[in-house]
Amino acid sequence: MILAAVLAWQGVLAACVPLLTRRLGRDAGYPLAAGFLLAAGLLLWRLPVLLDGREVALRWRWLPSLAVSAALRLDALALVFALLVLGVGALIMAYCPRYLGRRERHTGTYLLLTLFATAMLGLVLANDLLILFAFWELTSVLSFTLIGQTGASAGTPAVRALLVTSGGGLALLAGVVVLALDLGTSDLARILAEPERLVGGPAWAVGALVLVAAFTKSAQAPFHFWLPGAMVAITPVSAYLHAATMVKAGIYLLMRFSALFGGRPAWDLTLLAVGLSTAVLGAFLALRQYDLKALLAYSTVSQLGLIVGVVGVGTPASDAAAILYTVAHALFKATLFMLVGIIDHEAGSRDVRKLSGLPRVMPATALFTVLAAATMAGLPPTIGFVGKEAIFEALAEAHHVPWSGPAAAGVGVLASVLTFMYAARVVNAVLTGPLRQPGLRGPRRSFVAPAGVAAVLATALGPSVTLLSSLVQRAANDARPQGEPPYLAFWHGFTVALGLSALTIGVGALLFAFRARADRLLCRIPTTASLADRFESGRARLLHLGALVARPARAAGPAAFLLRPVLAVPLLAVVAAAQLGPLPPLVGDPTRPGDAVLLVLLVAALAGVVTVRSALAAVSLTGVVGLLLSVWFVTAGAPDVALTLMLVEVLTTIVVMLVLRRRPSRLAPRGSPRALLAGVALAGATGLAAAAGTAALTGRRDLSDPGRFLLAEAAPATGGSNVVNTILVEFRALDTLGESVVLAVVALGLIALSEVGRDVRTQPAGTAATDPVLVFAHRMLAPVMLVASCFLFVRGHEEIGGGFIGALLAGTAVGLAHLAYAGAPAPLLGRLHPRPLLVAGLLLCVGVGLAALPWGRPFLTLGKVGLPGGLALPFSTGLLFDLGVYLIVLGLIVAAVRRLDERPRPAVTGRRR
Amino acid sequence: MTAAVAVGVLVATAVHLLLQRGQLRVILGFVLLGHAVNVLLLSAGGLRRRTPAFDGVGEEVVDPLPQAFALTAIVISFGITLYLLGLLRADGPAGDDGEPAGEDESADDRSAGEPAGDGDGR
Repeated sequence: MILAAVLAWQGVLAACVPLLTRRLGRDAGYPLAAGFLLAAGLLLWRLPVLLDGREVALRWRWLPSLAVSAALRLDALALVFALLVLGVGALIMAYCPRYLGRRERHTGTYLLLTLFATAMLGLVLANDLLILFAFWELTSVLSFTLIGQTGASAGTPAVRALLVTSGGGLALLAGVVVLALDLGTSDLARILAEPERLVGGPAWAVGALVLVAAFTKSAQAPFHFWLPGAMVAITPVSAYLHAATMVKAGIYLLMRFSALFGGRPAWDLTLLAVGLSTAVLGAFLALRQYDLKALLAYSTVSQLGLIVGVVGVGTPASDAAAILYTVAHALFKATLFMLVGIIDHEAGSRDVRKLSGLPRVMPATALFTVLAAATMAGLPPTIGFVGKEAIFEALAEAHHVPWSGPAAAGVGVLASVLTFMYAARVVNAVLTGPLRQPGLRGPRRSFVAPAGVAAVLATALGPSVTLLSSLVQRAANDARPQGEPPYLAFWHGFTVALGLSALTIGVGALLFAFRARADRLLCRIPTTASLADRFESGRARLLHLGALVARPARAAGPAAFLLRPVLAVPLLAVVAAAQLGPLPPLVGDPTRPGDAVLLVLLVAALAGVVTVRSALAAVSLTGVVGLLLSVWFVTAGAPDVALTLMLVEVLTTIVVMLVLRRRPSRLAPRGSPRALLAGVALAGATGLAAAAGTAALTGRRDLSDPGRFLLAEAAPATGGSNVVNTILVEFRALDTLGESVVLAVVALGLIALSEVGRDVRTQPAGTAATDPVLVFAHRMLAPVMLVASCFLFVRGHEEIGGGFIGALLAGTAVGLAHLAYAGAPAPLLGRLHPRPLLVAGLLLCVGVGLAALPWGRPFLTLGKVGLPGGLALPFSTGLLFDLGVYLIVLGLIVAAVRRLDERPRPAVTGRRR
Repeated sequence: MTAAVAVGVLVATAVHLLLQRGQLRVILGFVLLGHAVNVLLLSAGGLRRRTPAFDGVGEEVVDPLPQAFALTAIVISFGITLYLLGLLRADGPAGDDGEPAGEDESADDRSAGEPAGDGDGR
């Protein structure tokens, strides 16, 4: 329960961010920091339970059909990472208020940081593969948005970071799917408890995919290039995501899955090789940087590499060392980032060649920088020293191939020597030199305090490392239960590791003393073009390829688009004609004497549509076509369809009139004769295909089975005698609901279109001339129409009518009102707003559908409802549903009419006529 | 057979309009295409039976299901038509229907207001 509570608490914090920033502005970071500490305290409260070797778990069956549970679990390993997330998060949140500018509220930054902490927490607490993956992806996306927030220049690095980390996310997804399919469960604890069940091909596949995921997230070579680019983000983000927590998610994943793959030589050796080479590469690249932030970024790559390499050793001591160094690194790296941010903030530069004389104006900042750098370099008495000792000891124990122990320890020492050198460079830049910036002032105490807390903690935890011992031991045991890890202590006596530490410090100090010569030597080592550049050029090429593929689809006019689907119709018809066997005979005679008359009129009207040049005539003739078809539908026994079509035609014509009032009255000139001829040919072929298809494939069987069922059952089952209407509102209510949603979306689209020109709303009354004839017609007709609309709606269940038809009639009245009053608000009907109608309609439809659930019926079960006390509603709930449909359709029409009747701009209004 | 011929001429006219210049023609073509589909839907139910579906099964009573489909189709295509008209409006006179918009009084200040600048001052 506590786990859900902590996650929920984090969610509450995120929800409170807008309120906090509104009240406190940038100071919102302080209450958030307190909130983070409270969450950390809640988790720490369970520490005794965890140290007992038990765990805190929560399971909620979420998708039983997929066997996915929202399962959370807190063991010591998860607790270490959760405390890192919340503890460093609290420091960062306390750092933000003084770092961020005073003017803005920074709601976005605070919100994203809080959400990120929640996602990280979910990631380390997840006990189900799919949950784990979801949170993993969430951290990538949040990292992307946090980097991208910086501004336009951050676009490319942000996208690069997202592409690399989400590429790793895809690998993780694939691995998770293979794992869940192979073992038949997505329960992480169960999977990790029985490593022997995963063998053969799946084991290799999952192992490789997990490695790719972890290496991309933790910026291991060759995927390390995204991390330095991500440093364009603001310092709190760099410190929190790209130094202390998110990049540690890869480490967490490796430690978790070491229970599954640890001891398999391929896994262990890959971790050792990739980790240690990244450690050296990162440190080497860090030494070539003069920008402090870039230096720290490469340093992070290097330190993460060291941790990955240690995880590969696979002994209890190495696991403990990796966990301890993860904690140490989070402490000193977050501190260094915060301090560099302070220096940048105050001195205006992060370049080691420009900084000088800082201790005179910001002694505290300089002191804390020295402490944190000493931790990074592994000097006693800091926690860095203890961590490095543990790492050397673990590396020396590597036993996978002959001489692997000494070799690994040697590479570790090399990386550490380089680390010492760049740590010394940082200290040198901050401490030495005369003060060159006369106006330079020290930061406020509250700005330095969070970094100071972390720096002092990093230093003090060295001698008192035994405090951490039991937790780290337990966590190492939770990572893979293979024996008791050694007790952590500050002083182990004169061991090999102490000798290696001394060697590191000695060689590092020596190289620092001759740093000019050493730097020259380093710069002489050739490097290839940066991977980031290659990645970018590859991406550019891919986008170019996409543009090539998409070129045919980017024509300016609609004709080029429409040509292809239209062309497909005759082609399909030819194929179908070749494939079609003998057809069954026609059932009865499908024609009636009147049909031919209507057909002749139809052809005449269509010929008119094609030939006229006036837009008005074309629209009117199209309306005539619709009316002719309505008449035909009446004779074909479809009065509902006929009535609906007729109303739609009238309404469409009114709406088109609204549009045409302000448009040229002639249609566009025709294209070239050749294009016209080709169009006519294609039109003829398509029409022929459609006619042949209709003739061949319809009218060759009697009443369909569903039709027979509906005719027989509709009236007894629903109490309505209009079968078509009962189909719409009862039998196929879900379809109708979907359709109503489509209409609501169209209406929203129209509203959005009209909001493009928000400032040119409809003008006040009096400026536009109204049409006296139409106004009179409107006054006479509108009340009749509204009454008829209600009548049609209510009787829809029994006779012709229903929600659609009723709303169309009401909509026609609205359209007429707008047409008559020419843009000035018409009385009553002109004041209808689409949004309330749409909202009410959707709520009513869904509400009526949901109302069936408490009675144990499926969604959208409609019918007569019995009330308590033997009473019954006099109508079916289908009527309420239909009312929802009515409101949505009316909302759509109002939205369209308002959109199309809008006055373009005030200036034009006066000169309209 | 009349239904087949009706579908044929409707589709031919619609395609002819769709492939020509001018957005209004495209919209009208779309409307006609919708009509063609509705006729096709009803004829799929069989046009021999033509008594409206109000009183149970009978020898002449129509199949109600295609009618329900046609109703849905009409309403949806109506919605789309409205949206297309809204877009036509957003395009303004320059985007369509060639005739140069005479004295375009508001051309100078069009950029400041509605991007949909329908300002042909008529």
